[in-house]
Amino acid sequence: MIIDVNAFLGHYPFRRLRFNSAAKMVELMDHNGIDRAVVSSLHAVFYRDAHRGNEDLYEETKSLGARFTLVATVNPKYVGWQKDLAEAVEHWKMKAVTLVPAYHGYRLTDEHGQAALARIADYGLPVVLTQRFEDRRQRHHWDVAEDLELKTVTAAARSHPRLRFLLSNWIGLDGQALVDAGLKGRCLIDFARLDVLLRKDVPKLVAALGVEAIAFGSHMPFDYVGPSLVKLANLETLPEADYQKIAWHNAAAFLNIDV
Amino acid sequence: MKPNRRELLCAFGLALAGGGRAERSESAEAARPAGEVGLPKQWRKMRKFDVHNHVFDPVHRPNANWSRVDNMVEAAESLGIEKLCCSNPITGGVMAGIKDVREVNDAVLAAMKRYPERIAGFCFVQPGNGLEALDEIERCLDRGMIGVKLYNQYKYSDTKVFPVAEKCIARRIPLLGHSAHLTDARAIAAQPNTSDSLDFCRLSARYPELMLILGHINGGGDWEWAIKGLRGCPNVYVDTSGSVLENDTIEMCVRELGHERLLFATDQTMEGGVGKILSAELTSPQREDIFWRNMQRILDRRQS
Repeated sequence: MIIDVNAFLGHYPFRRLRFNSAAKMVELMDHNGIDRAVVSSLHAVFYRDAHRGNEDLYEETKSLGARFTLVATVNPKYVGWQKDLAEAVEHWKMKAVTLVPAYHGYRLTDEHGQAALARIADYGLPVVLTQRFEDRRQRHHWDVAEDLELKTVTAAARSHPRLRFLLSNWIGLDGQALVDAGLKGRCLIDFARLDVLLRKDVPKLVAALGVEAIAFGSHMPFDYVGPSLVKLANLETLPEADYQKIAWHNAAAFLNIDV
Repeated sequence: MKPNRRELLCAFGLALAGGGRAERSESAEAARPAGEVGLPKQWRKMRKFDVHNHVFDPVHRPNANWSRVDNMVEAAESLGIEKLCCSNPITGGVMAGIKDVREVNDAVLAAMKRYPERIAGFCFVQPGNGLEALDEIERCLDRGMIGVKLYNQYKYSDTKVFPVAEKCIARRIPLLGHSAHLTDARAIAAQPNTSDSLDFCRLSARYPELMLILGHINGGGDWEWAIKGLRGCPNVYVDTSGSVLENDTIEMCVRELGHERLLFATDQTMEGGVGKILSAELTSPQREDIFWRNMQRILDRRQS
């Protein structure tokens, strides 16, 4: 079994994406042997009212429930976001909440970010922080968002010691810095942009944080799935239990996915 | 050619002694299908030439630290990459003297000597070094290198590049060029002379017989723009490398340029570079051409 924790549905305004509808993504998943995808809405990143994107996500996937685990997007600068979040979590049973401060115009460390992090922690859900959607060197001139920085994550971790973090599509993570911020045992990192072999990013993070901290992620439909399948194949010489943790078990445990 | 078991386990800090975990793992491996999930069967055994990779450390010096080169070769072994075409460009906007240029090439030559079956050399030069740059190409070729690598010191439409192009034509060797169509102001400021696909087209139009390779289509920059810019330049090849792994890159290259112009490469994104060729919607012959045969045809032209 494979659970992909780094996936999105919907349109991205700066590039055409293939496989960005639920039906198309299921085709892509089947082709690549992926059983379940943890998805959030790209519409929610760019709509003024992010919650409309959550509605799109719920409506599009509700007939395909076994294949998708939903992540709510919240914009804490938008009126009534607390009620919207409650609907996403309590009625639609979304399993995590993503914040995109660079797109919604706040910082994780300001009053809006802090309020959102506190509310997510109160729900006992993980926050999903995607470092970036695409490489800045190819940015559209309307795309002014900056990549999230590690120091922002560690500051958030220190100020919300009960909150769990799913770090999606990151590179350059310093395992010791995450440990120092108290994230050992409360973070999950996908390997879409990490090396198993050459730079040994994954082994280094496992050494610092434990094998429970790593999960399969591909960043589909932005990126090809093959690179992450190759990385997973390169982990096949691990003990079976550790391989399964990375392939799916860590994701299921972290996100309370019933498999 | 799977990853070395001992090495991977050690890297994960797992004990090898006693055999308990290893025993369980081996039985689990046996239970797992031989063809990795979602990947073509026998993908590790598919022949592959990586036409764009690097030796960045001064491994020609005494007591050199070989770890990054060794890791690259071990990764290549695991991924089934038969040849690594490596260069050592001077980056960071530096206009170096010929002595420094020779030294970076000496590092590649040392790596070729350590791994003669695996590493092939591309000679880095700076066109601004004039005749000394051309002499350096000869020195590198005499020692077994197979191509020339340019970085971003000059746009490839600059007249200073022309003698280097003419040397490559005369010696029937490929010219691999750093490229990007950058759209981010900070990236442009950091690399003001980086060539985009239209600069490659200008050089190719002047020298249609030049075996010119546009480096790392996914190396940062607008790859859709880059591909469209190459549609009218039939003699420019494209290497598939770069840290960007965006879906549809390879298919768009094939649609717009034809698969015969694509050369597999990783530029140090080794698992990603292999994975995207495996994922792309290609026929088996197309994949084989991209993985190695197109580059072999380029190399064969030197012999013809």
